Amino acid sequence: MAAAGGLLQQGGCVGEEEQGVGVRRGGGSGCVRELGAEEGLGISVTFVCKDGEEKLVEVPIGMSMLEAAHENDIELEGACEGSLACSTCHVIVTDVNFYNKLEDPVDEENDMLDLAFGLTDISCLGCQVVASPDLDGIRLKLPAATVHFKVDGYVSKSH
Amino acid sequence: MALSRRLLPLFLRRGAPVPARALSTAAAPAAVASEDDEEAITVKGVRISGRPLYMDMQATTPVDPRVLDAMLPFYLSRYGNPHSRTHLYGWESDAAVEDARARVASLVGADPREIFFTSGATECNNIAVKGVMRFYRERRRHVITTQTEHKCVLDSCRYLQQEGFEVTYLPVRKDGLVDLAQLEDAIRPDTGLVSVMAVNNEIGVVQPLEEIGRICKEKGVPFHTDAAQALGKIPIDVNRMGIGLMSLSGHKIYGPKGVGALYLRRRPRIRVEPQMNGGGQERGIRSGTVPTPLVVGFGAACEIAAQEMDYDHRCVSALQQRLLDGIRAQVDDIVINGSMEHRYPGNLNLSFAYVEGESLLMGLKEVAVSSGSACTSASLEPSYVLRALGVEEDMAHTSIRFGIGRFTTEEEVDRAIELTVHQVKKLRDMSPLYEMAKAGIDLKSIEWSQH
Repeated sequence: MAAAGGLLQQGGCVGEEEQGVGVRRGGGSGCVRELGAEEGLGISVTFVCKDGEEKLVEVPIGMSMLEAAHENDIELEGACEGSLACSTCHVIVTDVNFYNKLEDPVDEENDMLDLAFGLTDISCLGCQVVASPDLDGIRLKLPAATVHFKVDGYVSKSH
Repeated sequence: MALSRRLLPLFLRRGAPVPARALSTAAAPAAVASEDDEEAITVKGVRISGRPLYMDMQATTPVDPRVLDAMLPFYLSRYGNPHSRTHLYGWESDAAVEDARARVASLVGADPREIFFTSGATECNNIAVKGVMRFYRERRRHVITTQTEHKCVLDSCRYLQQEGFEVTYLPVRKDGLVDLAQLEDAIRPDTGLVSVMAVNNEIGVVQPLEEIGRICKEKGVPFHTDAAQALGKIPIDVNRMGIGLMSLSGHKIYGPKGVGALYLRRRPRIRVEPQMNGGGQERGIRSGTVPTPLVVGFGAACEIAAQEMDYDHRCVSALQQRLLDGIRAQVDDIVINGSMEHRYPGNLNLSFAYVEGESLLMGLKEVAVSSGSACTSASLEPSYVLRALGVEEDMAHTSIRFGIGRFTTEEEVDRAIELTVHQVKKLRDMSPLYEMAKAGIDLKSIEWSQH
């Protein structure tokens, strides 16, 4: 499901850099679009959950992977809600070709990633990956746990 | 590299007369004790009066009194755990750790966030070699190192081989330097690490770090260097030299034993799998309570080294020249192991032909030196470093490593010359090989009969 090229105008996005601390980026475009602005223009993303279950979802262009997970009831913890202050939305990009399409993480993202549980060389923070056409078909694997894991299986209630 | 004044804590006195240089490393020159000397020490069957001259700086160094001054308050009154977040003891301890971190970083041109404290260079080498390769194990399967590395690097590489990684152990040239063309050829698409030590602990040779760093950067391979012997002795700049990981040791630069630091580059970010799991201290790289007094000592040692590196280098170079000239003036058939041009002057490794190494050492009980063989193993095998240089076995057996440092005095060097020359001459007088060589017989042409 490729989006029409004309939607991604490099010049048309103004003042989108600062959203609190979190800086959003996608494959090749720095624009944040109005969510759901265009019907039927999204990419397919497969989330592979902790238990191996795979969920194929459609993610509108411009939505972050963390938001997409929450929209689709996927158990991706996002404790700081996308403000680059935690590592709990850590996902693994199973295909290294897709990983290479992502922009290099900024220092702040890397600093948080350093602390992620089960970090790999193809890991990234879900709140920093924004859906764009060249990420169509990306598979994101959730790690076995986050830093909030408890050995007795206790799960704290979400706020 | 000079730190701003405001980083200096009050306990590092500045401008005060420096008694440190007046100290020698031994209480008094030792001599074989006479029968009625009540203060004589008997060690390994030899009676000596006084403690030996210490000329083994590559093994360890005395703690600089200024470093000890910096450390003591953190043992006696400011003894908090730096990770205690709730009280003054923790806060001041944490502040001291961060202060020390900045000093270590400053000495190598790094950002303080790139410095992680460990228990020493051996642990750093373990984290660097095994940690990097295991983190990138899906895509990187190959390690390149040299045959003259410290045992902890070689052992870590061997261990990785057991796990299925491949390792290339590069040979070195006769002068101990690595061949850059060979290094470049050895790099493969799946090479995950190049590890070449900065200054060799046995022979003192300095590797061409800038060139190696440039090659590694071009090929996109992380460059690790074991700089335990180099820190504070030769200028290190992690950016100019393209270093990605670096192992540092406290007790080689007049700091305390039991502490070291790992440099891990932030841009591009190098990641490692931690070898010590736990509460996530040191950003998860190395869990465990950070030992504040040791770390403060390391920081103080680094700051002193930054200020005194040039002066120390001049002093040590002069002493090395004195030692070499003094011995060569009275004894011939000596070989210096390793390049003289690319060398840290505080390390002089000499082989004395026609002399057996163990007996030379036994006769040098009043000078604490090291031989080329026993450093890392209890076996009688000659050093693998000397073997890598192509040194023949008989010459490898006779090698002696003289270590000169910040506190070594001219008197100690003169006495070391005296004792060494005396012992070498004595052994050569007894040596039939020396007689034959002097008579012009080519020793290699002799057929020794087996009994």
